[in-house]
Parts: sequence; C-alpha cells; structure tokens
Amino acid sequence: MIGHRLGLHARAAARLVQLSSKFQSSIIVFRSDAANSVEADARSILSILLLSAGYGSKVGVRATGEDEEQAVESICEYLAG
Amino acid sequence: MSGERVIHGVVGSVGIAIGKAVRTFDPLFVSFNSRLRPDQLRKEVERFRGSVEKSREQLKRMQAELKRKSGPESSFLIDAHLLVLQDRLFVDRIIEKIETDYINSEWAIQQVSDDLFQAYDRLDDEYLRERRGDLEDIVRRLLHNLQAKALPSFKKLPYDAILIGKVVPPSTLFEMRTSRIVGLATETGSPLSHTAIMARSLEIPAVMGAAELSEVSSGDLLIVDGERGVVICSPSEETLAEYRSRDRDVRKLKKKNGGIASAPPVTEDGVQISLGANINFSEEVRGAISNGCESIGLYRTEFDFFREGKQPDEESLVADYSLVLKTARGAPVTFRTIDVGIDQKSWDGVNPSLGVRGLRFCLENTDLFKKQLRSLYRASVNGPTRILLPFVSTVDDLDAAREIIAEVQRELNLKRLKYDSTVPIGVMIETPAAAQTCDLMASRVDFFCLGTNDLIQYYLVIDRSDQSVVHLYNPFHPAILRCLHQVYTLLKPTGKPVTVCGEMAADPPSAAVLLGLGFTSLSVNLGAYSRIKRMIRSVSIAQLRELSGQILKMQKPKEIEEKVRATVYRS
Repeated sequence: MIGHRLGLHARAAARLVQLSSKFQSSIIVFRSDAANSVEADARSILSILLLSAGYGSKVGVRATGEDEEQAVESICEYLAG
Repeated sequence: MSGERVIHGVVGSVGIAIGKAVRTFDPLFVSFNSRLRPDQLRKEVERFRGSVEKSREQLKRMQAELKRKSGPESSFLIDAHLLVLQDRLFVDRIIEKIETDYINSEWAIQQVSDDLFQAYDRLDDEYLRERRGDLEDIVRRLLHNLQAKALPSFKKLPYDAILIGKVVPPSTLFEMRTSRIVGLATETGSPLSHTAIMARSLEIPAVMGAAELSEVSSGDLLIVDGERGVVICSPSEETLAEYRSRDRDVRKLKKKNGGIASAPPVTEDGVQISLGANINFSEEVRGAISNGCESIGLYRTEFDFFREGKQPDEESLVADYSLVLKTARGAPVTFRTIDVGIDQKSWDGVNPSLGVRGLRFCLENTDLFKKQLRSLYRASVNGPTRILLPFVSTVDDLDAAREIIAEVQRELNLKRLKYDSTVPIGVMIETPAAAQTCDLMASRVDFFCLGTNDLIQYYLVIDRSDQSVVHLYNPFHPAILRCLHQVYTLLKPTGKPVTVCGEMAADPPSAAVLLGLGFTSLSVNLGAYSRIKRMIRSVSIAQLRELSGQILKMQKPKEIEEKVRATVYRS
C-alpha cells in the first residue's frame, strides 16, 4: 500500500504504462482505499486513467510472472514519486 | 442568423480572428453499422488492424513534426494517443466484439468506446473527464482511416476559416494547420483542454465553452475575440470596423522584420518605455518572444501549476520552468507565485476575492509555496528569473515570505544545488493597503508590479465578476488616479522599479495616463502589445505629464476619460 505524490494523470499515466511494458509479468494496480476496489491493468492507459487515482490516494501493485519482484519494486518506486 | 450576437465562452488562446465559420465534420456522430457473415470475420479484423496501423503511422509522423515545430511541450499529447492504440482494453475488446457479435469494425469501435465514454463521464475528477477528448480523437481517426478516405483535405477551406464544433480535436487542428485557419471556437472544453493547449502553441486565437455556437452554421461571419473570451456572430459594420483595426495591429506585429514588431517602444520625445508581455500558460512564451517582446513581465503560474488537476511534483516543475526560461532566450521572466481565489465563484456565500488569496494562501500552505520557490530557484540557472509575490497587504506577510525564501535558499545550499542567489524578489501592489504602504515595503524587495485590475476592484468596491456593477469599474475615477499618483510619489525616492501589468496598461488611453503619471514600464497581454507600442510611439511624455497634471484636478470619470481620449487620439 502506498501513497504517491503524483495524481495519475495523462503524463504520469503514460510513463507508468511505458514502464510496465518493460516487464514480462502481468501487473495490476488497484485502489486500496476502502470505498474503491477498482483494479487496472498497468499496461492499459485507459484503465489507468479510469482508476482516477489523484494525489494522495492509496494504491497497491500486484504482479505475477518471472520478474514479479522487480516489477512491483520499480513501479512502487515510480508511484511514490 | 441576422443581427449581431455575442456568444460568451472563455479564452482558450489569445488574439483576434475574423473569418467564416467552418463546422468540422464529426464521424463520431455518423453510424456505419452492418452485420457480417462468419466468412467475412477474418477480413474484417484485418481491416480493423490496418486502420490501427495507419493511425499509428500518422501519429508518429505528427509527433516528429510537432517536436520540430513547436518544441517538446505539446508532443506528449500524442504519446497518450499512441498508447491508446496499443491498449488491449481497447484494441482487443474491439476485435472480440467483431468476432462474437458478427459486426463491422465501425460498429464495434462505437460500442467499446461508448462504454469507455460512459466510464469517463462518471469520474469525479474534472481533469480526467477532460481526457475523454483524447479517446474521442483516437476513435475519430480510426473511423476516418476505416473509411479508406484521407482525413478531410482542407484545400476547400476558405482563406479565413474559423473552425467551430462541439469539439475540435487537437490533432485535427494540427493537421489542418494551414494558414487558412485563422481562429477556433468550440461549444465545449476549457482552457485546460488539449485543443486549447494546441491552439496556444500554434498561436491561433481560440474561445472555448461557447455553448450557443450550436446555432451557428458554416459560412456565417464570425469574430473570435480571444481577449474577452467571446464570439461575435454576424457582426455589425461598426463592430467589424473596430475589430479590423485591432486585427491589423496584430498582423503588423506578426511581420517579424519591419513594421511595429521591430520598432522600439520609444515615445516621440525620445523616452524609452519598457514593454513586456503577460502570459497565463507556458506555451505562450515562444510566441511572445518571436513577436519581439523584450520580457515576460507577468507569468501567472497558477494555471500551469494546477493544470493537471492536482499538484505537480518538484522535478516536473523544475523542468517546466527551465523550459520557459530557455524558450525566453535571455529575456527576463517574472514568475508570479501562485494566486488563488481570483474569478472563482464561491458556493458558501463567502467572497473569495476578499479571502485567502495570493500570498495569504501560500503562507497557509507553506509546503506548496516552498516547493514552487525551490523549483523556481533550481530553474533560475537557465535565464534571468524574477519572483513576484501576489496580494501582499502587510509588511508582516512580506517578512514571513522572505523568511521562507531564505529557508529555501539554505536548503538548496545544504543540498549543494545550483541556483541564482540574486533572483530579484518583487511585490504586487494590488490591495489598497499595499498602495498606501509600498514605501514601507521597499527596503524588503527589489521591484514592484502594479496590478490595476484588483486595485480598482478594491478601491471602488466593485466585484469584477458581478454583472450588475461591472459598468462602474472605471480606471479614470479620480480615486484611482490619486492612488496611482501616490504610489509613484512614494516609490520614486526609493529607486525601486515599478511595472504596471493590469488591464489599465493594455488600453491606449488609460496606458497613456500611466505614462503621464511617470510610470515607464508596462506589461500587457500579447493581443494588446502592438496597439500599446503604437500608442507609445505616437505620444510625447512632456505632453502627457501636462495632461496628467490637469486630470488630477478634475472631478468626473466621464469628463476625464473624454479629455484623455481627445489628447491621445488627436495625433
């Protein structure tokens, strides 16, 4: 669970998608705030934007695949700003 | 439509355009539905993939060209479009729809995108809802490419086309960037929409959110007034003549070598006046500099700061401010720190213009204030930077701000980050309190800016956003003239420079009064730049001094204004 400084808006979302595409694993970003249990495919710009994660919202990252650990680590690092 | 009509919107991109309306064709609202036989499916999916590929190529080409022509600030828009084209949520779902429902690509695209549009419309975040426009733009492109027609060729456009539509997608605006497009007006959208960003980087005047445009049809004569944020349909001869003369001024300004652009702002009797440009968005810097402006006298940073709906991080602020300074190519840029509460409607009955504004807001939100100051200092190695504090009303506020600035400098020193420690710090004189006590502030700052819009609003007790009193707003009121005279007299012995940057500096008669009162530095919106320069070159300071001596003794705003006009326009 992390709070990140950037709202996931056009520029930030585009960078997240580009970053996620470097990994083999499938990567899910999800809103962990209680009221929102929305999930997004980190490689889909549309689903990331629809996640509507603004500044300070709590999101989580989940990955499955060969490089799952590196994937989660570098995406969390990116999201934390 | 007969008779002149004024349609209200908001400024998307400054400037004046006169021309004929051209309504943009929108394939989003045309249906191309048909059912397929099972043996047609494979070919249909190929057809769809073909249009995705073609769209990708077009966008890549556009991106390269855009980078070359307008710099990197707007090419990121294309990145988002390219990512949608490789988005499985979008592309794979369309293919799935074609295969399971036996429908053609157009129909499948429409179904999938309609679902997504609805999801966008449900979002709470206004900035994200605006991003729906990017998806619409992509869908439009795919539909065009599926029809195996080239995107509409605009060879048939009139030479003075003003594009109108519910929306005009940013890519269309770019692709049609022939010199035939002189203006743009849309029924929806805001200055934050990507279309407005694109219009500003291409220097096309634009008005957004003018809902009543829906009643205008192709061929109607229109004036797009990107200074007031209105569109005038079927203008009268009188209105047209007025705008034509303003338009000519702007055209002259655009002729780079020769004309008024290269002539210095010097009065007839040889007094050099400093004339800067006011901007709201970073994309406007390029145009201001290439049109001969010698400085950016006022950059209102809050629009860009809150552009993405939320706070930007420090690194991207440093990058943005550095780009502004590099684009200014050595011309000084005055960054006004964040001001909030201007022209905002408050829903709890509190008048925001008398509330937590400008520096008051920054002193209550020191993290944000420090972040912006740190970013400005870090960017300052890229060109002459000036920092301006808005809405200051007491020396105490100023001391508190200077303490925060000193703290920021200590932090930067500790981190051994490079910055220009001599960045001048200035104060905006826009409250009666600051006007009365500017001499007390002088030892604490390096320069002053006079914001006449707010000063007049507070002096005359007229809410600028209240239509029922707005006609009383008058820069020729003796109270205003006395106030300006007093500010000049208080500051003269301090030797600190003052720039006047409100609307008063942008209208030739009131700007002439400012010169007569002794001010020698003005900063105006780009749209007013050449008419003010022309005024400067046609007047003599000696004569204006005499005039200001006379009007300071007069009683009625109307009579003062008439006298000033008679003097300024006699030549």
